[in-house]
Amino acid sequence: MITRRRLLCCLAAALPAAPAVALDAPAGPVVLTVSGRVRKPNQGEAAHFDLAMLERLPQHSFVTRTPWYSVPRKFTGPLLRDVLAACGAQGSNVRATALNDYRVDLPFDDAQRFDVLVARLLDDKPMAVRDKGPLFIIYPFDSSAELRTTVYYSRSAWQLKSLEVQ
Amino acid sequence: MATEIARGAVEGGSDARASTPRPRRFTLFGLMGVALALVVAAVALTQARQFALLKQTVVYQDDYVVLSLYQVEAEYLRLREHWVRALHAGAALDRDALQLRYDIWVSRVGLLHNERTARLMVGNDDYGEPLGKMDAFIARADKVLGTAEPKPVNAAALATLLPELDALAGPIHSMTLSASHHVSEQIAERNSAVRQHNQVALLLTVFLSLLVLAFGLMAMRQMRLLGERQRALVNLTAHLREARQQAEAASEAKSVFLANMSHEIRTPFHGLLGMLSLLRDTGLNARQMDYLRTATESADHLLTILNDVLDMSLLESGRLALSEEAVDLRDLLREVESLMRPQAQLKSLALHIDTDPGVPEKVRADRTRVKQVLFNLVNNAVKFSDRGVVVLDLHRASGNDGSDQLEFVVTDTGIGMDQATLERLFKRFSQGDESRSRRHGGTGLGLEISRSLARLMGGDVTAKSVPGEGSSFSFRMPLHAITPAPPPVLPATTAADPAAGGVASLRVLVAEDHPVNRQYMAALLEGMGHRPFFAGNGLEAVQAIREQRFDIVLMDLHMPLLDGVGATLSIRALPDGVAATVPIIALTADAFAQTRERCLMAGMNDFLAKPVSPERLSAMFRRLFGGGHAADTAPLVSAELPASGSTPQVLDRSTLEAALRAMPRDRLAYLLQSFFEQGPEMVERLRVALRDGQALDLRVNAHAARGAALNFGLSALAQTAQALHEGATHVPAHEIARLIQRYEQLLAASREACEAAGLLEPVTG
Repeated sequence: MITRRRLLCCLAAALPAAPAVALDAPAGPVVLTVSGRVRKPNQGEAAHFDLAMLERLPQHSFVTRTPWYSVPRKFTGPLLRDVLAACGAQGSNVRATALNDYRVDLPFDDAQRFDVLVARLLDDKPMAVRDKGPLFIIYPFDSSAELRTTVYYSRSAWQLKSLEVQ
Repeated sequence: MATEIARGAVEGGSDARASTPRPRRFTLFGLMGVALALVVAAVALTQARQFALLKQTVVYQDDYVVLSLYQVEAEYLRLREHWVRALHAGAALDRDALQLRYDIWVSRVGLLHNERTARLMVGNDDYGEPLGKMDAFIARADKVLGTAEPKPVNAAALATLLPELDALAGPIHSMTLSASHHVSEQIAERNSAVRQHNQVALLLTVFLSLLVLAFGLMAMRQMRLLGERQRALVNLTAHLREARQQAEAASEAKSVFLANMSHEIRTPFHGLLGMLSLLRDTGLNARQMDYLRTATESADHLLTILNDVLDMSLLESGRLALSEEAVDLRDLLREVESLMRPQAQLKSLALHIDTDPGVPEKVRADRTRVKQVLFNLVNNAVKFSDRGVVVLDLHRASGNDGSDQLEFVVTDTGIGMDQATLERLFKRFSQGDESRSRRHGGTGLGLEISRSLARLMGGDVTAKSVPGEGSSFSFRMPLHAITPAPPPVLPATTAADPAAGGVASLRVLVAEDHPVNRQYMAALLEGMGHRPFFAGNGLEAVQAIREQRFDIVLMDLHMPLLDGVGATLSIRALPDGVAATVPIIALTADAFAQTRERCLMAGMNDFLAKPVSPERLSAMFRRLFGGGHAADTAPLVSAELPASGSTPQVLDRSTLEAALRAMPRDRLAYLLQSFFEQGPEMVERLRVALRDGQALDLRVNAHAARGAALNFGLSALAQTAQALHEGATHVPAHEIARLIQRYEQLLAASREACEAAGLLEPVTG
């Protein structure tokens, strides 16, 4: 609750700067910030998403095995490419940063080539920070052997905080 | 010898291959194959294990585990820093930041509970213990910072927990180090496994290369062996071919020898027969007659055998040529019947000859050979039947290809044959069985000759039989029908001619094989007002005598199939008294007393030397058939041959003039013309006979050439021909070749002489 309140404060401060033809302003606490080459920012130069905004995007889900869980788990959320499209992001590289300061670069193309999820539900339940939440970039590992390598495992950033489009 | 060598080579070769080396080589190949398969399997296994190792590395992410342990430590340090800072007085307590740090650290610790991490660190005390301590701390800290109960942070509670948090530093650090060491060990272990696999793979590759090399060497050896074997086969083939050629040459030489011998034996044999027939008329008593009959029968039998052997050797050497002439089939069958009926009657057998109305009157065929086959078949039927009937049935048939055929079927009710006998039947020297052979005699060549002749004609002889019930032989030949033509007008003048010297027109049978001589005689006889009839050989002459009445027979001595002496013997032996006593005059170019004696012994009435002049012929007729001055006729044998060694004239004018007296000039010119036209063909026949080593052919042809040449007074030509005739069997080949060449040259010279004498139109163009 404290978190939400703080985010609301930030949101209120940012509102006047939002451009006319922009993304809806986030109503709840911001969970994802997309910065860099974003053409439809809703707060300053960046696009801010709350969970509701992410929920409004088309939802997808799949079950896949991962190195982090011993059994296949179900992931649900918007596609990364829909998130990027929603804020008019255009670039060649996306730098994902997690709450724990984990940082990894994803080729912009990955979002087009694979159905990469910005998962917000794990087995249909919201994810807490201690459960690698609130957002988790997840590749459909079971759909292709090509994905089952360390390269893609390392691109799957959990506790996702922000994306920087370059 | 060559055959033995070849057989030796074959056996040697098969021995070398048939014994041990083959199985041993196969075993070796099998072992190498198995080894190769094993090696390949081992390579595959090694690779599979390497793949599994790699996959394990990716899936378990050992490195990642170490990283996450380090991160647990890092997050722990950051959390402690925030914790300490939060407790410091003066700074506002940022609960959200602390909460976030705490949550992140808790999520990191949660990762250590991951199954895979646990697997990596199993059995490691430095792992289990700190984990337990951290879990215990989290359980207590959650009461303050837990998400479940959001309440303001109690600074006192934080301060209470701080020593516990501090106490975690040591165990977490040692856990991280331990994991790092542990993973390093595992990596080292894995590397060594990979190295080991590589070594094994290298070893296997070396082994594989060796195996491939061995296979290659064996394949090369195999190729070399194949090459050797092929060379051996080629050698063997060459040996065999040579051996076959030698065998064929030997067989050919034997056939030629046999043919010559048969021919040579027949000549004195005819003399023997003549003497026997003369002996009969010398007033013998019954016992002597009996002996004589037995001797004659034996001689007849021997003659049959000789003829069979001669035919066989001719057939075998491929020298037997068929002639084609118009044959009256019904006439031919009558002849067969009349010859076979006495034999059939002797055994009380009925003989039926039946001709289908659909069979044409005349066909083109070799009369003599067809008759020979039929004689053989009917003779066998009669021989092997003791009762019942022998039927000769002639009808049309169609061959396998639908062509028209004639089929003669000879059926008997004799002893018959079983299947085994039938199969042996057409083989040489075989008869039904040994006992039969003894009982019935014969050469055993008859059926083989018949079948060979039939096949030569384009037909066949086949047999069917049921033991005890009889046999049926079928003789098929192609049917070449001749559409009936108006009967040929006999070159005869019916009215007696004054030139005939007072003798009435006579029916004269001329037995003569050379066509030009036949034409000459026709001209001569017609010129004298007689009616000439012709027979091409002795058999035909005998047949003609049996069928028709003639006043006199002019018999050439040298003829195919049956010569003059033989024909005379046959005629004299005819049951018909009138036919058997017809006057027979020998015609021959031989002027030797020996020849004359042979003729007279055979039963001939007189002797006329070639060239036959009209004067001598009419004198002969007068002597035999009236006319007053027969008695003062000059000796018949008056034609003097030029003495040996002297060069004869190319053209004997007196002979030619005599010929001109006997016939018109244009007729003689026509005869000369046809003689010269046939000249090159004659030369060719002589050369072919010489080339093929056919002494008999050479003799026969030379004789014919000589007779014709003498008739026209071509003395030089006649002499050369005679030299050829006499030298055919013993003079060296090059000498014969020279004589043939001389004959050819003289042919041209004679022609020029005839042209010069105005007897022949010069050749133009």
